[in-house]
Amino acid sequence: MTYTASYLAVAVFFLLGLALPVVALTAGRFLRPDKPSAEKSISYESGVDPTGDSWVQFNVRYYLFALLFVVFDVETVFLYPWAVVYDALRADMGLFVLGEMLFFVFFLVIGLAYAWKKKVLEWT
Amino acid sequence: MHAMTFIGPVILLGVVLGFVTMAILFERKVIGWMQGRHGPNRVGPWGVLQSVADVLKLLLKEDIIPHQADRPLFKWAPIIAFVPAFAVLAVIPYTPTVYFADIGVGLLYYIAISSITTIGVLAGGWASNNKYALLGAMRSAAQMISYEIPLVMAVIGVIMSVGSLNLMTIVEAQKNLWFILPQFIGFAVFFVASLAELNRTPFDLPEAESELVAGYHVEYTGFRFAFFMLAEYVYVFAMAGLTTVLYLGGWNPLFGMTFIPPIIWFVFKFSLIVFSLFWIRATLPRIRIDQLMQLGWKVLLPLALANIFLSAILKEIPWIGQFY
Amino acid sequence: MVVTGESIAFFVLSMMAIGGGMMMISATKVVHMVLSLAFSLLSIAGIYVLLHAEFLAVVQVLIYTGAISILMLFGIMLTKHHVTEEDDQSPRRWHPFLSFLGVGALFAIIMGVIYQTPFANNEEVTQSYSLEALGKAVFKQYVIPFELTSILLLVALVGAVILAKKEADS
Repeated sequence: MTYTASYLAVAVFFLLGLALPVVALTAGRFLRPDKPSAEKSISYESGVDPTGDSWVQFNVRYYLFALLFVVFDVETVFLYPWAVVYDALRADMGLFVLGEMLFFVFFLVIGLAYAWKKKVLEWT
Repeated sequence: MHAMTFIGPVILLGVVLGFVTMAILFERKVIGWMQGRHGPNRVGPWGVLQSVADVLKLLLKEDIIPHQADRPLFKWAPIIAFVPAFAVLAVIPYTPTVYFADIGVGLLYYIAISSITTIGVLAGGWASNNKYALLGAMRSAAQMISYEIPLVMAVIGVIMSVGSLNLMTIVEAQKNLWFILPQFIGFAVFFVASLAELNRTPFDLPEAESELVAGYHVEYTGFRFAFFMLAEYVYVFAMAGLTTVLYLGGWNPLFGMTFIPPIIWFVFKFSLIVFSLFWIRATLPRIRIDQLMQLGWKVLLPLALANIFLSAILKEIPWIGQFY
Repeated sequence: MVVTGESIAFFVLSMMAIGGGMMMISATKVVHMVLSLAFSLLSIAGIYVLLHAEFLAVVQVLIYTGAISILMLFGIMLTKHHVTEEDDQSPRRWHPFLSFLGVGALFAIIMGVIYQTPFANNEEVTQSYSLEALGKAVFKQYVIPFELTSILLLVALVGAVILAKKEADS
């Protein structure tokens, strides 16, 4: 299967995934009732009238997890090509290829340990 | 350009929708049996049409958008969540002949595209302008990103062994031995992380009906709600397929039983994974959010990292090295 | 110019990328801005696919659409995000003119550079973009920059933890 044909298939999957909800929701418009009332469109808050603003400020810990996620996601971007060429480079330059990744991961593990020690990984 | 490029995905979409309706029925049946109940048995013989009836009911439900909601985003969010769920299916090979896109970076494609769903969930929770919804969405997003890391790291052992990200090549490399045996730590981490990515019990905190009502889709009704649920079950299909491909040898037969066609083997292994998901749901209680985050970062991530270097070291040992 | 499937795809994807950018500028709610940006970055990944750089494309989706957007959304949730961006009421007559001048100058410079760059006419060997070739280049030729990346990531991580902890304590 060629490169172009494969990505054409990927494009078809995207378009089909987009088409299904669009078609279903449009078709549903002719089937479902539409009787809006003021009570119906109140935000749900366990049956009580909603108080205050819903778009509240969140605790900083969410942001820290997102940051850890980005850092480790970038790490995977290096780990994947490394894993793909591991055997080829192992034959070519010996265990140096393992050593360089150990070195790379070591620094990130220090980062993780630091976050662990600073109680960033707790959820309290 | 081949006609199958267009017809194939449409057929798969039909198969997936059929799978989702049956999977929901079986989930309820299986959990019912495990709890000494019958499960749904009223609609159609043996309750077969229960999910079909549920879908029709959702289609006929009124579409309510809260007046405080952010209307355009509220409408788009279920679509943002659903499109990647279906798009990831493009790279999963079912048999040597039944596959849709054979791309060099297939595995990374799956991981990258599936991460878009988190945006849909966050957008849905935020656009609802509801406290429960936003809290549920934020928790859900925090959970999904935390478990994505161990999930992707666990697979690296497999990639090192195969030397490719192409899922067809990964299946072919398992002709003699499935990766579940040599990569058992990787498989365990992958399986636990995939449960969390799928928001399934014991990691169904985003829904946590006892504390968050329903999580990020509290305000959603009718078919918009259905698309969030559909996305979740399409991911069950995709993740079961990916686990089969990565660790259970895809379509490869066991003990050389080649008289059973490859597609049957694939479906068999696939069903086994789906059944385990239901089984776990009936068995385990939901864990707390602090336990959830600690499990991801303090247990699974170090284990996944250790697995990479363990695989590299085991490669060096004579005789054992041939399996890695 | 011959109209091929590839050029149509390029046209559509670049329209999507530019459209995402324009939506981002015209949006008034900051969450909408981030989502438009994510859409724009996703379309750029599509352009990478057209250039046969499939690894770069999936990394673009993984890092930019999947991770950086989430980071920005989480960052927004830290702020008072219900406030929509208000139009500046004070009239600044020179503002549009100066912006136009700035954008025009940037456009002229970019076009100048594009037209002056000698592009090799011969067909590129797309095999050289493969993941294997990339891996060999990074882990054999460019080992030092690769290791430095990890130190950079460590510094970013530690710095963020210090800043956020200070924020949480005060």
